[in-house]
Amino acid sequence: MKNTQLEKDARERMKPGVITARGFLGRDERSLADIIQADEEAFRRLGLEFDAVADRLEAWKESGTRGLGEPITVEGRWLVRTGDARGVLPCPWEDGVYHKNSVDVTDPRNGDLIIYSDLSVHLLRVHHFCQGLGSPFRLDPDTLARMMKA
Amino acid sequence: MSPLLIGPLATGAISGLLALVIALTDRVVNNYGEVTVDINGGKKSLKVKGGSPLLGTLAAENIFVPSACGGRGSCGACKVRVLSDVGPHLPTETPYLNPEELARNVRLSCQIKLKADIRIEIPDELFYVKKFAAKVESIRDLTYDIKEVRVLLKSPASIEYVPGQYAQLVVPPYDDIPESVQRAYSMSSRPGEPDHVEFLIRLVPGGIATSWVFKYLKQGMDVDLVGPFGEFRVHDTPAAMICVAGGSGMAPFWSMFRDMKEKNTFPEKDIWYFFGARTTRDMFFLDELRALEKDMPRFHFVPALSEPKTEEGWTGETGLITDVLDRYLKEKIDPSKPKEGYLCGSPGMINACIAVMTKNSIPEGGIYYDKFA
Repeated sequence: MKNTQLEKDARERMKPGVITARGFLGRDERSLADIIQADEEAFRRLGLEFDAVADRLEAWKESGTRGLGEPITVEGRWLVRTGDARGVLPCPWEDGVYHKNSVDVTDPRNGDLIIYSDLSVHLLRVHHFCQGLGSPFRLDPDTLARMMKA
Repeated sequence: MSPLLIGPLATGAISGLLALVIALTDRVVNNYGEVTVDINGGKKSLKVKGGSPLLGTLAAENIFVPSACGGRGSCGACKVRVLSDVGPHLPTETPYLNPEELARNVRLSCQIKLKADIRIEIPDELFYVKKFAAKVESIRDLTYDIKEVRVLLKSPASIEYVPGQYAQLVVPPYDDIPESVQRAYSMSSRPGEPDHVEFLIRLVPGGIATSWVFKYLKQGMDVDLVGPFGEFRVHDTPAAMICVAGGSGMAPFWSMFRDMKEKNTFPEKDIWYFFGARTTRDMFFLDELRALEKDMPRFHFVPALSEPKTEEGWTGETGLITDVLDRYLKEKIDPSKPKEGYLCGSPGMINACIAVMTKNSIPEGGIYYDKFA
């Protein structure tokens, strides 16, 4: 799939050592357009909406902050821990700056774990970018679907 | 000469000539020569080679401005005030600076390239910060996700610091991490043992430094530290200390309490330590803190669990630590005595505790904290 110059520039900024030491791409060598297209197809297949998932991630974060940095059980099911780090991170598409934080949500039913930040939620909601395969902050559509299932 | 060779040879010659022109231009245009860095109104003056970022240039002269990202401009920690004209703030700096800092020309030292003489202001304490070569003496699991790392300092062989200060652990490149990074951790050790430093490090899923500590750091390995940094410390007043921290946030307090006991400093201060966790498997040093309570009658330890399991048989306080703190401030701690707050944790935890403390008449100016962010 053809990439716009904006996507090519964003991909360069996603490499390790540019915005974050680890980058956003993991071991994924596909272009941004290909990564996004594949994950959009997965979202359609799984019946997920990007805005609804982003809203859910923000809700978990809000509930998790009540734990004051310690893990806390949310809605009787998910174990959520929120943490903060020094500084802010710009979006690789250069359309915003986000506080450096991390939220980890575990589903004790099956051990599923997702890790995300305010920037991850923005990347998902606005750019439909779940991060590359192997990135620790990747929001894998299949994992999201399992975690959001009642 | 074969006509077939003329083209490639001509291209090669032109490319070589262009490379030479670029190299010569670079030497002329980017040669800033020797520049002077005046620090704190002449307290220190450095003659250095121009052309590099201020942060790295200062580090090469053994002046270590705190930095967590290694100069990539993504942590916003390496702030210095610049009194000379070095041009307007860069777009890479402004997200990290508040209006007051912008007005005072506070800059990120990693983003300023030294092109001419410069005058800067940094906290005097940074003159005493050193880089230490150390060896890991032991690593102990305190919980399933918190380790105590104890290192022996080799060069310099001892460190002077105040309980509550932090040091930066230098993480080398590993796996897919291409560059060295530094992360700040409060020292949990006692200054009375100056040849050792201890840290309490909690695993942050996906975290660069903590993943390295948990996966690769082993007993006997060499590590580098930079420190001490920070202004978090016990204040010399008669007010009671109301301390709150959970998890690895205990580190500065573990240093403070043991130092106060060892040296009998601030003997008029009562100390209350509120330690919040989810279940007993998230707690550690319970026996040590209870022993400290026996040895030092002015020390009061209040552990609390937010989600105790029935089978744990927990008989202590329950609920979020902010709720427990609120109850104690209202019902159990002498309201007639002055109090001050000491907090270590995430901004969310600190803000929540400040709200509880101020509601219970602890003045905001008397609440001291070490925010993780």
